[in-house]
Amino acid sequence: MIDPMTVLAILAMAGVTYLTRIGGYLVLRNRTLSPRATAVMEAAPGCVLISVIAPDFVSKNPADLAALAITVLAATRLSMLPTVVIGVGSAGALRWLIG
Amino acid sequence: MAGREAAEGEAMSISEIALTEGQTTYGRGAEFRRGLAASTPVLLGIIPYALVLGAQAAQKGLSMAEVPLMTGLNFAGGSEFAAIQLWSSPPHVLLIAAITLLVNSRHFLMGAALAPFIKRLPKRTVFPALFLMCDESWAVGLADAQCRAASGLRPAFSLAFYLGAGLPFYLAWVAFTTCGAALGPVLGDVQTYGFAMAFPAVFLVLLRGMWKGFGAARPWLVSLVVAALVYLTVPGAWYVAAGALSGLVAAWFLAGEK
Repeated sequence: MIDPMTVLAILAMAGVTYLTRIGGYLVLRNRTLSPRATAVMEAAPGCVLISVIAPDFVSKNPADLAALAITVLAATRLSMLPTVVIGVGSAGALRWLIG
Repeated sequence: MAGREAAEGEAMSISEIALTEGQTTYGRGAEFRRGLAASTPVLLGIIPYALVLGAQAAQKGLSMAEVPLMTGLNFAGGSEFAAIQLWSSPPHVLLIAAITLLVNSRHFLMGAALAPFIKRLPKRTVFPALFLMCDESWAVGLADAQCRAASGLRPAFSLAFYLGAGLPFYLAWVAFTTCGAALGPVLGDVQTYGFAMAFPAVFLVLLRGMWKGFGAARPWLVSLVVAALVYLTVPGAWYVAAGALSGLVAAWFLAGEK
């Protein structure tokens, strides 16, 4: 049920995350960040998220590409649950239709 | 945590609650309940994220015990979604730690913003309290502290209010990711039904929550293009690191324009 490598990865995540939580308080409480450093830190989460899903944007399956376009459109105007339902629904339907 | 978009959607009502109820000083129990009331609408919004994350983690082979271990010790949804997407058997520990650091780097800024309000609290209180700092509890806690400061209440930061806003989030996150892990295997191989699209869908909604206009999103475009090119040309999961780092470099240079 519990794999040692999985636990190690989880502990690494937990340690890193806790450091980010106390780091700002410990290091930045008595100083101000430069505008450039602030801009980089603000952009960071989005850069990571879009990089993780980048392979979906260059998929070789036309059904998946079309479903991704529909999902992007849904994400700009709907909340989490409807977007996931539309994304999964369109991917399932288009795969069945186009293959 | 994951529900950044939900937190922003509720920002208006949260500040209204904080403004109307922050005028008087309550006892600890009442402060806790006030925090609970302020965070409840956003709390409901994270349940679908938690279920999806748990189900995806189960698909990647994490057990019913490992999922709450991750969500309970790490308690940062964005990084958990990213880690699970990159999860392999055995997991690439350094890659996962690096990605976790990048996704959660915003905590540095959040902690710095909160610092003036918690500076006077003893460290033995601050360190456990910061463990509960997620996008939602931070937004609610900081808005309340700013309102209390503006209306002359001291101390401006109400610890009981913050715990009332943060603890239910923690419990709900761990509980519903575990439920998701239990439901995941029931759904079977999610690939065949188009469930793979759930991940991009979640990430796109998270990105929409972080959206601050096309100008601010230019580093994301750099990340997307570089990550896609590296994915097509280099084997392995290097595309994530390459895409993320080139986006950060772009953010650095674009910030110099102004």
